[in-house]
Amino acid sequence: MSLEDTAFEFKGQHWRLSAGRAIYWEEEKALIVADLHVGKSAHFRKAGIAVPANIVQEDLYRLQQLITKYHPEKVLIVGDMFHSSANNEVQYFKIWRRQFAHIAFELIEGNHDILEPALYEDLQINLHQVLSLRNFYFVHDREDKPSVLEGHYLISGHIHPGIRMVGAGRQSLRLPCFYFGIEGAVLPAFSGFTGLYSLHPEADSAVFVIAEKKIFRIFQ
Amino acid sequence: MKNTPGWQAIEQWLAAKDLKPFTFQEEAWEYYLQGRSGLVNAPTGFGKTFSLFLGAVIRWINEEPEYRSKKHNGLQLLWVTPLRALAKDIGRAMEEALHELHIPWKVGIRSGDTTLAVREQQKKQMPEVLIITPESIHILLSQKGYAERFAGLHTIVVDEWHELLGSKRGVMVELGLSRLRGLNKGLQTWGISATIGNLEEALDVLMGNTSRQTAIVRADVHKAIDVQCILPDEIEKYPWAGHLGIKLLHKALPVIMESNTTLLFTNTRSQSEIWYQQILKACPELAGAIALHHGSIDAELRIWVEEALHTGTLKLVVCTSSLDLGVDFRPVDTVIQVGSPKGVARFLQRAGRSGHRPDAVSKIWFLPTHSLELVEAAALKDAMKANMIESRMPVIMAYDVLLQYLMTLGVSDGFESNEIWQEVKGTFCFRDLTTDEWQWIISFLTTGGEALQSYDEFHKLHKVGDTYHCVSKQQAMRHRLHIGTIVSDAMLKVRFLTGGYIGVIEEYFISRLTAGDSFSLGGQNLEFVMIKDMTVLVRKSKSKKSIVPSWGGGRMPLSSNLGKMLRRKFHEAMAGTAQEEEILVLQPIFDLQQLLSHIPKEDELLMEQIETQDGYHLFVYPFEGRLVHEVMATLLAWRISQQHPITFSIAMNDYGFELLSDQPIPLDDTNAQEYFSLENLTIDLQRSVNATEMARRKFRDIAVIAGLIFQGFPGKAKANRHLQSSASLLFNVFNDYDSQNILLRQAFNEAFFYQMEEARLRESMDRIYHNKIVITFPQRLTPFCFPIKVDSLREQLTSEKLEDRIKKMTLFTYE
Repeated sequence: MSLEDTAFEFKGQHWRLSAGRAIYWEEEKALIVADLHVGKSAHFRKAGIAVPANIVQEDLYRLQQLITKYHPEKVLIVGDMFHSSANNEVQYFKIWRRQFAHIAFELIEGNHDILEPALYEDLQINLHQVLSLRNFYFVHDREDKPSVLEGHYLISGHIHPGIRMVGAGRQSLRLPCFYFGIEGAVLPAFSGFTGLYSLHPEADSAVFVIAEKKIFRIFQ
Repeated sequence: MKNTPGWQAIEQWLAAKDLKPFTFQEEAWEYYLQGRSGLVNAPTGFGKTFSLFLGAVIRWINEEPEYRSKKHNGLQLLWVTPLRALAKDIGRAMEEALHELHIPWKVGIRSGDTTLAVREQQKKQMPEVLIITPESIHILLSQKGYAERFAGLHTIVVDEWHELLGSKRGVMVELGLSRLRGLNKGLQTWGISATIGNLEEALDVLMGNTSRQTAIVRADVHKAIDVQCILPDEIEKYPWAGHLGIKLLHKALPVIMESNTTLLFTNTRSQSEIWYQQILKACPELAGAIALHHGSIDAELRIWVEEALHTGTLKLVVCTSSLDLGVDFRPVDTVIQVGSPKGVARFLQRAGRSGHRPDAVSKIWFLPTHSLELVEAAALKDAMKANMIESRMPVIMAYDVLLQYLMTLGVSDGFESNEIWQEVKGTFCFRDLTTDEWQWIISFLTTGGEALQSYDEFHKLHKVGDTYHCVSKQQAMRHRLHIGTIVSDAMLKVRFLTGGYIGVIEEYFISRLTAGDSFSLGGQNLEFVMIKDMTVLVRKSKSKKSIVPSWGGGRMPLSSNLGKMLRRKFHEAMAGTAQEEEILVLQPIFDLQQLLSHIPKEDELLMEQIETQDGYHLFVYPFEGRLVHEVMATLLAWRISQQHPITFSIAMNDYGFELLSDQPIPLDDTNAQEYFSLENLTIDLQRSVNATEMARRKFRDIAVIAGLIFQGFPGKAKANRHLQSSASLLFNVFNDYDSQNILLRQAFNEAFFYQMEEARLRESMDRIYHNKIVITFPQRLTPFCFPIKVDSLREQLTSEKLEDRIKKMTLFTYE
């Protein structure tokens, strides 16, 4: 079964929201993801906590599938691409990256992106503090938004958003989601090795929950 | 042995005080001096300490003619105690005796409270007697050159062994003993235990596979106990569910006033805070004569309360299990137990906290917190009369503790695999450990496990020659900080702005408060000011209303002994043959249950199907105790879900369980019986555990103990957040990528098989299968179902597709 996506027209643009935790922006031919945390499991292992290594392989494989599906011209990573200092998973990424030499990788820096600039160059990743495209500002942590928004809409990551749902029979679930609020949107964490932070949705916001390989818009 | 100089010296010393040794003490000394290991079964306050301590002293006097002058003899006797607070009292008693006997031995204490200066001193010169906690034994084993410190050690006494047995701290003791025995094969081991149902097994666990002659010495002590119930006047108006019992407070007051000093036990810390506040409100004249004592109150304040109890200046102390262990408080003549103590042993132990004058009767009052609890009271009294004391089930295959222990050895002097494998296999806990499992454990610590070829960069232990060592100073430091098996949620200290600590509060609770909010702790109303340096700063609150915090704590399940008694009592009550006052008072409740639903006969199983706003409920009443019900409910839910896509919310208590769904539950008298069939039971049980979150919850503690989750350096918690990862994440990762992970397996085992006796479950299932199943459809909630329905600790189980569930759900609205 392949990853489902759903069409969303928003702020005059056409977006495809994928259950693979990415957005394809049709007008810009851009695939947008956040919080990859490549190297997180290796980081744990270095500290003596035995976490399996397959996570990064699975995550990058999914990214590969998304690239193959949408054929983007560029990939925008809205922060926390790498989890910490260089380790073997970064090497793995370098090799993986070679498959897509023709695609630009734009990284909007997050709190975890602390590698040497030369290394990013080597990996063919372009660095940005904040990226402005059409009337959208891409910034990792929405708290770091520019002081003057000027009609721009924010797109950020960092919080690994989740949403809580309830049902009859005292059922409750927490699921990762795409959240489109008044001022800005928050992207779900791409990596599987992350927790969830429950969002309180504002009135008139758009929420899309990800349920395994499917995606649903939930109306309030 | 009586004619030896040592024994004579002791007799003379006691005679000078007009005392004689008790028979059981002489028995213990005799066996000890013969070189045996064993167990002394004696309650607190009857000379158990001296039954073994003086044995070691006699031996010393016999072996050393110069005993009055020989100093600095190195460690002779290790005294293990579960509580730091007990250590001081024991130490004092020992020092007094040594002084009067003119023996220049030193008595030291080693626990979490021991200062750095004292630790350094102990490093240079070990005292002859060291009183220590299980965790501190491991801390000593984590230090380089530890073998030297234990060179002259010949005797280990494990005090309150019944308290340590049945928990992972007991496993720490077993492992510590295995290493100390490895250093000295001639070590003598003795345990001191209160009465439990399996004393022989308790001794086996303590001995491991050492071959020594053993003995069990029992103190011949009988205490008269008087149990009374505080009964509600109008049972119809008494709550059907709940755990506070405040409605009966006015009836507890005369009991308190007429007694000299009362201990009022509640089952949770929040309950104790609420009771304290309410009593003060009802009787302001008690201010100054009433105190609060529980585990989250600052140690100094607790010590103050304990001292005041000794001097008889307090009329009432509201407390939790925090006052279960410890020295006797002579002035205490009454105990009130609020809510079910869930076990006979605990009830007897608490009753025993009163009446310490010679020939005094221990008086205990039972105060029910909801009406059906009265049946438990009657069951409790019967179980006491029949002397049905619970057994403490030893923990087995605690891989997490083993991982921690091996790391401890790796951090100090390293260990040789074969040597330690033999020692570990010799313990009760790990006697069935296979070579495969041992290999897995060593792999996990060195390369991170074999399932994942790419466990690069993982180095906890390195093999140097034949020994395994930890070479990272940082890892070693982190490890030493977290030695122990008590896992608690992040707690923050609470302190007045102007100074003075009050206690600790859970981080989760504070995170939901804003500055200015009031909460109570230690019986005081406090206004939250701010958090600084991981400390909650407060000032006295002027507000009349304040929130009582709740601390996450396990629900106590009914012991299986009491469970059996409970069933019997319920049937007697329902059949109308019960005589006890507590049950007769309940008649109107039973009448109502009969009217709305049905009262099951001895050979019947009652099920109720009720529809409410919450959904469709199925209540089942086997009366087998919470643990069995948890398993049975999950099994039933799973079996139904295999026939039909459905999602259940599951709850249970000691009388029965509930399955709640958003759709009608497809169970009626045509298919109910087969759900209790024994066919495929084992595999169905395994599958049903997998379908819930039970194992995931157990995994958290296991992950912390095994060193997978780093809880941060004290005061530096922020800096290490990058290493903190929720246990749930790790559980997912292991479940997906490393399903053979030994810690995962432990989590599943702890969730299910070790928490209930499978034989007992089979027995109940079989009984039910042959019973008549009666299903009723009450139009209203019944007295039986009410306590289960309001229980908030729920499990979820589903066989529906996630997308189908989502379609029926809505976003949660936050207030």
